[in-house]
Amino acid sequence: MRKSFIAIGCSLLLASCYALRPSSGGGQTDYSSPRRTDAGDIAVTPEYAVALVASGFTFPTAVAVDESNRVYVVEAGYSYGEVFTTPRLLRVEGDGRTTVIAESDSGPWTGAVFHDGAFYLADGSHRGRILRIELDGSQRTLVEGLPSKGDHHTNGPAVGPDGKIYFGQGTATNSGIVGPDNADFGWLHRHPDFHDVPCTDVKLAGNNYRTHNPLVENGAPVETGAFLPFGTPSRVGQLVRGSVPCSGAVMRVAPEGGEIELVAWGFRNPFGLAFSPDGRLYVSDNGYDNRGSRPVFGAADYLWQVSEGAWYGWPDYEGGRRVNEHRYKPPGPAASTPPMPLLAEAPGKPETPLARLGVHSSSNGLAISSNADFGFRGHVFIAQFGDMAPGVGKVLSPVGFKVVRVDPTDGTIHDFAVNRGDKDGPASLLGTGGFERPVDVTFSPDGRTLYVMDFGVMLMEGKTPRPQQGTGALWRITRVNGEHNR
Amino acid sequence: MTRLAFLLLLLTTGACGPARRSAALESAPDIRDASLAKGQVVFDRHCHSCHPGGAGGLGPALNDKPLPREAVAYQVRNGVGTMPGFPATEISVNDLSLLIDYVLALREGR
Repeated sequence: MRKSFIAIGCSLLLASCYALRPSSGGGQTDYSSPRRTDAGDIAVTPEYAVALVASGFTFPTAVAVDESNRVYVVEAGYSYGEVFTTPRLLRVEGDGRTTVIAESDSGPWTGAVFHDGAFYLADGSHRGRILRIELDGSQRTLVEGLPSKGDHHTNGPAVGPDGKIYFGQGTATNSGIVGPDNADFGWLHRHPDFHDVPCTDVKLAGNNYRTHNPLVENGAPVETGAFLPFGTPSRVGQLVRGSVPCSGAVMRVAPEGGEIELVAWGFRNPFGLAFSPDGRLYVSDNGYDNRGSRPVFGAADYLWQVSEGAWYGWPDYEGGRRVNEHRYKPPGPAASTPPMPLLAEAPGKPETPLARLGVHSSSNGLAISSNADFGFRGHVFIAQFGDMAPGVGKVLSPVGFKVVRVDPTDGTIHDFAVNRGDKDGPASLLGTGGFERPVDVTFSPDGRTLYVMDFGVMLMEGKTPRPQQGTGALWRITRVNGEHNR
Repeated sequence: MTRLAFLLLLLTTGACGPARRSAALESAPDIRDASLAKGQVVFDRHCHSCHPGGAGGLGPALNDKPLPREAVAYQVRNGVGTMPGFPATEISVNDLSLLIDYVLALREGR
């Protein structure tokens, strides 16, 4: 009886935490230029060493390494917060200076891989392209017209064992409904007819969401349904034709271009793609936010092992569970019910993730160790950009801002490189010279060096991102001693 | 009753306090211990997303709370506030025991 009383008392006290405390995300801090960098402020186990390679990048999103071990950085040319710069592919010289290989007039450029003497690069701008860029900077478009005008962009790419170029396409929206939050992102004003595109035919449940209309001053409220433009309600049983390319999908194309093939869909933002030494495809995926007209509370980020032709659950499932369960209802007055189903019939049985990563951790680029000398062969290393609270929803403590390792045999998650200090968070919050926001990881061709692309400082001013130009950094992690025992 | 009052005082002052970060790399729980390794599998499948590595995140930190086993078990099974409950169909009796061992080890390894 006494034990039960203690247990209930303790639980009730803990239960009040979320309601009592304000949001405390990693970006909710101050920053004054210049950014300080100090590899000694990043903790790894004693077998490894961290070093700074270069710094001063503006909104970097990817790192690639060519066959001669020369290192390249992709600068996006755009950041959330509606800041537009020039997308660039840069070669990092031995002294840390950079040489421009290619640039564009529209971003974001969101990822790149070096293969067969050239770069395959994701152009996540409104053009939605996969580019091949030669070392002399000449560019050729392999794919264009991907649905990349919304919240999430074209991602990847990765080269499959079949020699094809695999890439991800994020969804336009948080959870299937175009709403005022998409106006806050900017694109609803630029592309008022844009919406998510299913990969196969879907029948809608007819659930609509009523919001104010940010496109019209003092306009009447409007209702919006799934996979439809803003202000267009859906009907029960309405058929929406699927097509490829589509939203929330992994697709592929031959290295010389041609027809786009669907690999799998039902993702939200499949940001990182990588193949294991034995040819399995792993994808990182940013889970739902607690925002917009159909907010979802408590949704993890995921690591998926992708099966060809499978459906992964967006917009009606969270890691294999239906989002109309009570656990997904945002606390407080933001929503009176859990998210309502958007699909009358699921396109398939949703898969279960290999790992459920931190809610709002923004688990992005990933790489898989292929060299036993580095250690953890076959394990998945994931760059966690870190939360953008409170814009994505409230958190009690910073989430992410590190590199984690996932053991694919059991789905366990381990810190691999993390800022020193008594709490997690970006260096700007901790007052150190460590990671700000790791956004990508890539192994050198010999598998002995793990490069970590650090986006740099992104503050949150209320719910608005305030990215800081010129604060990106490139780090490398190498094995320095000892036989690895795993 | 003295112990109960002490626990409640600690929780009142500490439950919502600043989060401790996830287990320090050098002192993480010894997952070569087979029982703890199984506990981590359960923890990472069900708990990590809101309490990454036992630290705070969407939910409060777990690795700095002097919670007795009974309190952890009650919270997992019943879920109070924003945390959902996990019935035995999701976390078996045996897995719950392994999970609690792991959570307590996170606290010791912090």
